[in-house]
Amino acid sequence: ANMKLILIFSALIGASLCLETFVGHQVLRIKTKNEEEVKQLQLLESLEHLELDFWINPSAPALPVDVRIPAVSVQSVKAFLESQGIEYSILIEDLQDVLDKEKEDMAESAQRQRSGSFDFGAYHTLDDINNELDHLASEYSFVEKIQIGESYEKRPLYVLKFSTGGSNRPAIWLDAGIHSREWVTQASALWIANKIASDYGTDASITSLLDKMDLFLLPVANPDGFVYTHTSNRMWRKTRSKIPGSICVGVDPNRNWDAGFGGPGASNRPCSDSYHGPSANSEVEVKSVVDFIKNHGNFKAFLTLHSYSQLLMYPYGYKCTRPDDYAELESLGRAAASSIRSLYGTTFQVGTICKTIYQASGGSIDWSYDNGIKYSFAFELRDTGRYGFLLPANQIIPAAQETWLGLKKIMEHVRD
Amino acid sequence: ELPPSHFPARRAAAVAVGYLRYLRGGPGRRLELRALRRARRQDIDDVGHKYYLELELEDVLDKGRTVNCTAEVLYHLGSKSTAPDVQVTVQGELRSTEEADKEFYNRIRSLEKELVAENIPDSHGNVPPALEPIHLLAWAASGYVIWQNSTENTQFHLAQVKHVKQVKRSDEDLQFDYVLLLHEMVSQEVIPWELTVLWHPQSGARVSWDRRQPGHA
Repeated sequence: ANMKLILIFSALIGASLCLETFVGHQVLRIKTKNEEEVKQLQLLESLEHLELDFWINPSAPALPVDVRIPAVSVQSVKAFLESQGIEYSILIEDLQDVLDKEKEDMAESAQRQRSGSFDFGAYHTLDDINNELDHLASEYSFVEKIQIGESYEKRPLYVLKFSTGGSNRPAIWLDAGIHSREWVTQASALWIANKIASDYGTDASITSLLDKMDLFLLPVANPDGFVYTHTSNRMWRKTRSKIPGSICVGVDPNRNWDAGFGGPGASNRPCSDSYHGPSANSEVEVKSVVDFIKNHGNFKAFLTLHSYSQLLMYPYGYKCTRPDDYAELESLGRAAASSIRSLYGTTFQVGTICKTIYQASGGSIDWSYDNGIKYSFAFELRDTGRYGFLLPANQIIPAAQETWLGLKKIMEHVRD
Repeated sequence: ELPPSHFPARRAAAVAVGYLRYLRGGPGRRLELRALRRARRQDIDDVGHKYYLELELEDVLDKGRTVNCTAEVLYHLGSKSTAPDVQVTVQGELRSTEEADKEFYNRIRSLEKELVAENIPDSHGNVPPALEPIHLLAWAASGYVIWQNSTENTQFHLAQVKHVKQVKRSDEDLQFDYVLLLHEMVSQEVIPWELTVLWHPQSGARVSWDRRQPGHA
């Protein structure tokens, strides 16, 4: 096998350097019956002018002898073997053909890996998702993968930046998977990323959007939790941070933002699934986003994906009073819900968090809104409880498609 | 009058649907809430809050036929241990599940080894077709638990059948011991719940024993 590798390696180098080809070379397998025949082959081996290349040298009768014969010598070697009554078979008819095919296969395989046959209609592991982010970034010049921080367990927080130019253009933020068990959200984010990237230049709306604004997409906002849902507990929601003084692990990252932190609708018990954490921004997954957005300074929209319930909500969650921009947000929300419904008839309820789902403090869109990002919306995607978190994979793409229409409606409004 | 998009009406609707699933659900019937058309709330002094609901359900296995219902859900004042009183009126007839029920009954009775299964649906939302009746029976049984344990501050859904084990009986009933994962939306907890369900084509589903699994956070 090593011999073959060396051979192929030199063939490839040779081919590329036009030094040597193996056109017409044959590889024979010779089966010796006795010591006499072995001696004959050893004689053959000594005839250097034949340039025979023994892959398995003649040594004992029981062992086969494999030999590569240059094109010019093939006929004479065969004649010799036949005249001695030595049995042989042809392992390789034309070595160059084999080498060419192998080169082809390798190139194809590399191509397949590069263009990624990523199945958007299936659930993927974190590694697969990160590979696809790399693929998108390498395939589109206006897509860049940046790291905005690290999770508690030191996994990178990767954001896709969509930017066709300018300098710190007004930007839109979109995240998914802050609650790790909400698998349709990470999956939808990938589909949406691919949709935006591939439609730029052909879809008028996306093109004009990216020509004016930048988009930052964080598909897996809680990678530690996400890995945990794959390896240990499919129903895990929180981060995986150790909590001093408790045997329980993890903080609800959507109760950890600095907006009414610690108020109603969040728990102060570490074992609770809605535990707000020891302090606002205690979770590095949250702090990384906060710092990034603050440092950027020019975000106009903050959009976040959750599941399930089919809701489209705007602030506030931590208090039950209406935001100043209530009328505009309600109207925009209804327009977006209408767009969503237009595709498959899926109905989303629209309203403030507090009235629509429950009072909940420390939520991300409350923080973004109170920090000057007017267009702050939280989506709860399919379904309404039939499958809940365990949404069948065949609904990923429909969910992503309809959600995209809602997001697009909001983004268009922000752009204009 | 309550906006259907707001949670109080939706929570009451979930209780009504759970109750209905328990009463009328089974291995051959899947009832889904398609829309909450209208909701009213009445505050009754010294008694509690009563919700009047108009619901549109879907009988999924009957080609998704629409089933209209009215329901009344009375949450008792201050009581955490009394189940809400529920009444549901279904307009029209639900399609008979006699054939499917009989087939399921015979199939399970003829099993040599007691049926055991887990994670329905699995992580990717798949349910093997042969296990769908077991899944639907779990939905019916979960309706009982949801009805019995709901308050105005909870909203339960069946998240997953964690484990199910058939227990052969000497009488005519089928018995299944389930561990269900219930998702409580307000606290966001996923709560394991153990229960024993008895079922017979003629008598429907009965939860004979249930408890919240001890040792959970």
